[in-house]
Formats: sequence, C-alpha cells, structure tokens
Amino acid sequence: MGQERNVNLFTALQYKGQGPMLTYILHRIAGVGLFIFFTTYILALAGVSAVNALYENWLFQIIVLFCVFFHAINGLRITILDLWPQWQPYQHRAVRIEWAVFWPLYVFSVVVVIWNAFGG
Amino acid sequence: MATAKRTLPLSKRGLSFEMFMWAFTRFTVLAMYGLILAGVIGALAVSAQTGANWGDVLRWAFFPQTTANPLATMLWMTVLAKLMVTAFVLVVLGHGVHGILEILDDYFTSALARRWFRNIVIAYSVVASAISLYVIWTSF
Repeated sequence: MGQERNVNLFTALQYKGQGPMLTYILHRIAGVGLFIFFTTYILALAGVSAVNALYENWLFQIIVLFCVFFHAINGLRITILDLWPQWQPYQHRAVRIEWAVFWPLYVFSVVVVIWNAFGG
Repeated sequence: MATAKRTLPLSKRGLSFEMFMWAFTRFTVLAMYGLILAGVIGALAVSAQTGANWGDVLRWAFFPQTTANPLATMLWMTVLAKLMVTAFVLVVLGHGVHGILEILDDYFTSALARRWFRNIVIAYSVVASAISLYVIWTSF
C-alpha cells in the first residue's frame, strides 16, 4: 500500500537535507530529463525527422548535457557508496568531490556548445 | 559518536524482487560506464587504423540510419559495434524504465494508478526495444 503524504511543497523545500538531499532531487529531475531524451532518440530512430531539429538546438544540448553529466557522476557516487557502505560517513565529502568533477566538465561542454552555435 | 550500521550482509537480506532490482540498478550503472569506455577506446583505435573520423564512428553507432558507416570495410568491427550499441540501449532502457517506475510509485500511491503505470512502462519498453533493435540491425 502507498504511503500518505502530508507534506506540502513549501514545507518540503524548507527541509535542511543539504548537499545529499539536493543531489537526490537533481538526480530524479535529470533522470526524467534523460528518459525524455531517450524517447526522442527512439523517435529519431523511428524516422521522425522533426526530432533532428531539436537535437541541433543549443539550449536542448545544454539541458541534455546537464542531465547526462549530473546523472552519470551522481549515479557513480551513489553506486560506490552503496557497494562500499563503510564510506557512507563521508557522503558530504563525496558530494563535494562530485561537484568538483561535474562543474569543470559541464562548463567546458557548455562553452563548446555555445561556441559552435554562435561563434564557430 | 558511533555510526549506526546501515547495511545487512546479503545473506541476511535475502534475494527478493526489490533487492534484485536494487542491485540491477547499481550494476547497470557500472555496465554503462564499461560500455562507454570500451566504445570510446574502440572508436579511437578504429579511427587511428582507418583514418575514419572519431566523431563519425560514434555518430554512426547511435544514428545509423542518417550517418554513413565508416567501418563498412571491417565487417567484424561493424557487427561488434552493433552488438555494443544493442547492449547499451537495452541496459539504458532497463535502468531508465525502472527509475521512472520508482519515481511514479513515490508520487502515485493508489494500487490502480501503479498498475496502469506499470503496464504503460512495460508496453513502452517493448515498443522502444523493438524499434531500436530493428533500426540498429537493419541499417548498414
């Protein structure tokens, strides 16, 4: 049976879960984003040519890159901490390392996308 | 402050369906990383041997019906690449639909809604797998 939820959005946003809570929410949002991307990919494979225009849109590329990099790096952190639970006490440090890996990769990719869209 | 033990050994947890899917989600992540790494190294090796553009090899792997096959002279490599893309798509699909079901189960709590979402996701998986496999294996 499902659980009843008696927490409204405003109260939920005040929850002080800090870094791991933020990554938990972003992991879900990025996962849904990737699922939508995967669906468009299947449509492209099926021959829906309108989807190709979407792929060439720089804004779409930036959003997909965020979803891919964040979901992949955060997923690796979750997997490592789940498979080696003795490292769980260091999860805040793991989140900081995750951001330190994510931002340079993402910023570099966004610069390349924007350069190709407007400058290159 | 002593840290509470967060896990039980596998022998005490037992292998229920939930436990299996928990492990499936984690190991598919590692499988995706492995396939991406092998794909990138393979594409680099092939492009070094044949002079084919590295980007074209990857683009053909994922959009085979719109990009010419740069491995056309290397049949075994073409088959291997198709096998790897097939594995990647199926792993992504399994991981993805399970994740979507987890999220839906968290926000839709009635048994009827959950049953319908499960049916829709299973139907989606079948259709998406069929389209992917058809295109990957019938395009050159």
